[in-house]
Amino acid sequence: MHAKSVPSRLGPRSIPVRAGIGLRAEHYDAVLETRPPVGWLEVHSENYFGAGGKPLAVLEQVRAHYPLSLHGVGLSLGSTDPLDASHLAKLKQLIRRFEPALVSEHLSWGSVGGRFLNDLLPLPYTEEALQHLIMRVSQVQDVLDRQILIENISSYLEYADSSLTEWDFLAQLAQRAGCGVLLDVNNIYVSACNHGFDPHVYLRAIPHHVVQEIHLAGFTVNRFEDGEILIDTHNQPVHPAVWALYRQAIQHLGPIPTLIEWDSDLPELAVLVGEAQQADAILEDGHARAA
Amino acid sequence: MLALREWQQGFTAAVLDGAEDAFARHIRVRHFSSERRLQVYRNNSRISLTSALEAVYLVVRRLVGEGFFRYAAAEYIHRHPSRAGDLHLFGDAFAAFLASFEPVAELTYLPDVARLEWNYHQVFHAARHAPLDRQALMAIPPERQGELRFRLHPAARLLVSPFPILRIWQNNPQDGVDEELIDLAEGGVNLLIFRDEELDIRFQPLGDGDFALLHACAEGCAFAAACEQAMTAQADFDLPTRFSHWVAQGVVTAFDLPDPSFPIADRGEPT
Repeated sequence: MHAKSVPSRLGPRSIPVRAGIGLRAEHYDAVLETRPPVGWLEVHSENYFGAGGKPLAVLEQVRAHYPLSLHGVGLSLGSTDPLDASHLAKLKQLIRRFEPALVSEHLSWGSVGGRFLNDLLPLPYTEEALQHLIMRVSQVQDVLDRQILIENISSYLEYADSSLTEWDFLAQLAQRAGCGVLLDVNNIYVSACNHGFDPHVYLRAIPHHVVQEIHLAGFTVNRFEDGEILIDTHNQPVHPAVWALYRQAIQHLGPIPTLIEWDSDLPELAVLVGEAQQADAILEDGHARAA
Repeated sequence: MLALREWQQGFTAAVLDGAEDAFARHIRVRHFSSERRLQVYRNNSRISLTSALEAVYLVVRRLVGEGFFRYAAAEYIHRHPSRAGDLHLFGDAFAAFLASFEPVAELTYLPDVARLEWNYHQVFHAARHAPLDRQALMAIPPERQGELRFRLHPAARLLVSPFPILRIWQNNPQDGVDEELIDLAEGGVNLLIFRDEELDIRFQPLGDGDFALLHACAEGCAFAAACEQAMTAQADFDLPTRFSHWVAQGVVTAFDLPDPSFPIADRGEPT
């Protein structure tokens, strides 16, 4: 006889090696009513920092049916200002309440001297910045009492001051701070196009064992007379070139839980679910190869 | 090489204050100029903060039009820089900003519409709260009842305006084409904004007695003083019935006596 597992009030706690989707307020009703066949959901942590109300009530309902990942966009991790204790306290409370399987933030900064740009800004990849990030990630992991994942961002400029590549910086950060990596394949592609590096070199430099999640999203092309800059807008389907790079990432890393992100100009929920199914098919191939 | 902090200050000055020249040498020039690259970040920051304002001030945006709203938002962002990574905290001074923003000086009602929208935003995210503990209330000796200080639900706010802001708000649904003209001379409104049990936001125009009663509670007045203010505001005010109504509605949720021998009757968040 099979032991029947008793579902906890919160639902399953670990992220399956499948595709999930980002949950935005526009899709609350559709997700609750149709319970789409996706492996897990991810939300932006800050959207649930309120003390009460509909967002938290909805998250409680969806959490009963899906494993959850909390993705932060506002911690300003790489800033040289002190960490925002109230921001971290809210995140910690959210983690206690919803028991997410994964918690992530960005390899970026967004404020200095108390002024916030509310954007994901690139760091110079120097030894000093690396030391700073190692300290900050350790602080956050200590306060939250858990490991966090750090995501590579899209960037639109490079610094003359950088002495390390972004991939070396990220790999060393993971190794020395003991954090995991959320590898955004779209961001690798966007930055590779903007800065002229080979995205495969990036992929190969990240050790398998640190990558716990992958992000896929769509970008926008800003065209100028003399060229173009790719912008990470999360308002489009995943680009074919990014799907191809993702396939290579799965070949290199093995199957990894993968999120479809779509944060503005949201389409019908079915479009996101369709993208998730495409990712699932690639993950299936990865599973088959691993078997 | 700059120390990281100095370097972050340089980047911020280049993007937000236009001090690009001093920072340009830190940017690797490949194909595009540092100006164009910094411009991407300037746009991103502006879009991020403007979207946060648009998400809260939907009706203000509809009243002034999208283009003007963006112009006002840019000015607001410049005068009141964001101070937190959580964008839900951004925009608290927008009503006060509009009140002093010369180009909309003639739209006298606009700051109050913004106030209504900021209150809506706060009520939407406010904490849950259990209903009033009636048994604890019954246990208060009658002769002490006048000293009680009642409190409103965290998701209940009062707003007064000399303009018909509720009608203006209601006549500006985002997807509708309802363009009924509202005469500003039709007068102001005392408004209760609260969240019901389904977590939907409700607006209720209040009579003078109700408003004075709830306002006095919100201000921390003793119940005797609150009753007096309500009766002064409205001579025919049916105080017992109306007070019970606000308790039943979950708008009045807690109380205390300024006396250490009586514990505060505040059940906090429901379990």
